[in-house]
Amino acid sequence: MDKPILRVVDIWKSYEDLQVLKGVSFELGEGEVKVVFGPSGSGKSTLLRCINMLSPPDKGEVYIRGQNINAPEVNINAMRARIGMVFQHFNLFTHLKAIDNVSIGLRRVKGFSKEEARAKALEVLQSVRMEKWTDHYPAELSGGQQQRVGIARALAMDPDVILFDEPTSALDPELIGEVLQVMLDIAKAGTTMIVVTHEMGFARAVASEMIFLGDGVIMESGTPEHFFVSPKSERVKNFLRQLDILYGGHEKLLK
Amino acid sequence: MTDLPTLPEIIFYILRRGLYHTLLLTVLGLLIGFILGISLALMRVYGAKELAWFSSGYEKLFRGIPLIVLIYVFAFGLPDIFWYIDPLELRLGSVVLALSLRSAAYQSQIFRGAILSVTPGQTEAARALGMGGSQAFRHIVMPQALRLAVPSWSNEYAVVIKDSSFASAIGIIEMTQSAYFVSINFQEIWALSYLILAILYFLFTYPITRIFGERQSKKLKKFGMGGG
Amino acid sequence: MILQDRPNPIGELLIVLEYWDHIFSGFLLTMWLYGWALLMGFFLGLILANLRQYGGWFLSRIASGYVEFIRGTPLLAQLFFIYFLPSSLNIPVGDWKIETSFTILNKDITIILLNYRTLAGLLALGLNSAAYQAEYFRGAIMSVGTEQLMAAQSLGMSRIAGIRHIVLPQALRRVIPAWSNEAAYLPKYTVVVYFIGVKDLFSQAHHVVAFTFISLTTYILIAIIFIVTITLISKGLDILHKKTMIPGL
Repeated sequence: MDKPILRVVDIWKSYEDLQVLKGVSFELGEGEVKVVFGPSGSGKSTLLRCINMLSPPDKGEVYIRGQNINAPEVNINAMRARIGMVFQHFNLFTHLKAIDNVSIGLRRVKGFSKEEARAKALEVLQSVRMEKWTDHYPAELSGGQQQRVGIARALAMDPDVILFDEPTSALDPELIGEVLQVMLDIAKAGTTMIVVTHEMGFARAVASEMIFLGDGVIMESGTPEHFFVSPKSERVKNFLRQLDILYGGHEKLLK
Repeated sequence: MTDLPTLPEIIFYILRRGLYHTLLLTVLGLLIGFILGISLALMRVYGAKELAWFSSGYEKLFRGIPLIVLIYVFAFGLPDIFWYIDPLELRLGSVVLALSLRSAAYQSQIFRGAILSVTPGQTEAARALGMGGSQAFRHIVMPQALRLAVPSWSNEYAVVIKDSSFASAIGIIEMTQSAYFVSINFQEIWALSYLILAILYFLFTYPITRIFGERQSKKLKKFGMGGG
Repeated sequence: MILQDRPNPIGELLIVLEYWDHIFSGFLLTMWLYGWALLMGFFLGLILANLRQYGGWFLSRIASGYVEFIRGTPLLAQLFFIYFLPSSLNIPVGDWKIETSFTILNKDITIILLNYRTLAGLLALGLNSAAYQAEYFRGAIMSVGTEQLMAAQSLGMSRIAGIRHIVLPQALRRVIPAWSNEAAYLPKYTVVVYFIGVKDLFSQAHHVVAFTFISLTTYILIAIIFIVTITLISKGLDILHKKTMIPGL
């Protein structure tokens, strides 16, 4: 890859005595969608938090457009503004209306004026089809609506890449579809994404590459066709079979 | 033998003579307690180990001393150090100091609880957007923590205004002292004057704690705040 | 007045400690008042909480009114009201007393266990503590929730039996942390009886000051005694709580 947006090099991370990540490396080009999946405890969430340095790795580097984001002279907050994150439990700011949730990053981090921020926030909320709910508080929104606002909040910052940490795992079944649809739309529009998820239908539709993370290392990686037609290891085969049993039906939710 | 004062006369007398100092002591005690209390809470939640330990020790100390004892410690200790200050001001200062230091210990707990109630995921999201730690605190945690603290804080207000009654022990002329003055001059209505005093305090505490207490708690729950 | 040199604080402390028998007798009386007030507050508070939660329209309002009024007024005012009530109503109180004496280390210690003043103080403290304890109990009862009571009634238990056998045992266990808080800090409030002439720890401190003219050190000593006592009670209740925990409660 000549000019990768994101380069993750040899990430190691341990908590207490447990070695969660043992040397993970990959690259991500512009517009690519990488889906990371694997058994729980394999370090998928940890990996995402190492990438945006919310939980800095013990060893390894992360490069955004060629810049090492953990270098001492670099302002980590400015770096984080270029990496978006969508959380499993939404993590919306409960004291702010939807529109303010989306605009606060623009105002406080990127220095937009109140009007500029509001205009941009409105635009982004429209793209996730939440323009009718701009003045609602998170407590007044369903899970699916909250997550869409969460995606809007990340999108508004115009990040180089957006990290998705199991964005639909905490949603009731009938709400998953609306969120997956939004993710599908932005993927098709060219957003660079890393998505940790079990939604194989989504992966099949838009993933440029899929990574199976097990025991802290990348066990297998390849295109969706590779995984669904002829995966190499037994472990991956079994895992995919389990996923299909649990989540197979969700593909019908996507248009 | 003089006529006994009427009910309105007693009420007006207590208020006219004593309300000023009662309110002065309460406001000063709460205000200084607030500044000190928030600092202690921040020390305990975000501070280094030594600061957190100090804050915790402070709380234990000033929650374990009876207020009246604290007042006497200052009332007898301060004149030696501040011999040049007018005695009345020293007595007022002793009470304000005692009230503030005690209130700070309780307010520290209140704010610490409120800060911890804000779900940590929101701080994570704020940092993921690129906000620094203090930015995240200022814009995300503190606005919510202050709102969450309102019910407990209204309770603390009630405590401090009641505690101000101990100022009467060292001769400060506030409401309780005024009631005492009525009772020693008109001994037939000893008990009545204290009943009236109690009702006056009640009028200052109950409406506030009712409005900003449980009712506020329920309103906050509706907003989904304070689930952490 | 020239800034006076503080004489040696250790020396002062030793002089004050010569009156250890006064201080000790005051401490014992404080603990005596504390124990009875806590007990009274416990039973009355429990009754009040039950009335508020399960009493009819009338009883629950009376209980609520009592609790809100006591909690909204100063303990000092309540104390004075109770103390002066008989004389205001021209009821004689008499000069009776029940006391106990014993000798320790060649010093005679006499403690008045009960007389009019002590009784008034005890009542005021007990009635006051009951209101605060009632709040804790009510919170605990509410946290148990109504579903279990419904289940008990569906089994055929009467409402009262359901409250007694299902709600209260759980409520009483849930209330332990909050109750321990009240129990540990109640000794602090007993000092208020000084104002009606009961010879508690604080009152004895004044005696010692009158004899020795050493004021600051004496009051600091009293403060330390309170802190230590409260910390011990608090830790003790903590240990008790840990020993009697039930998982999931």
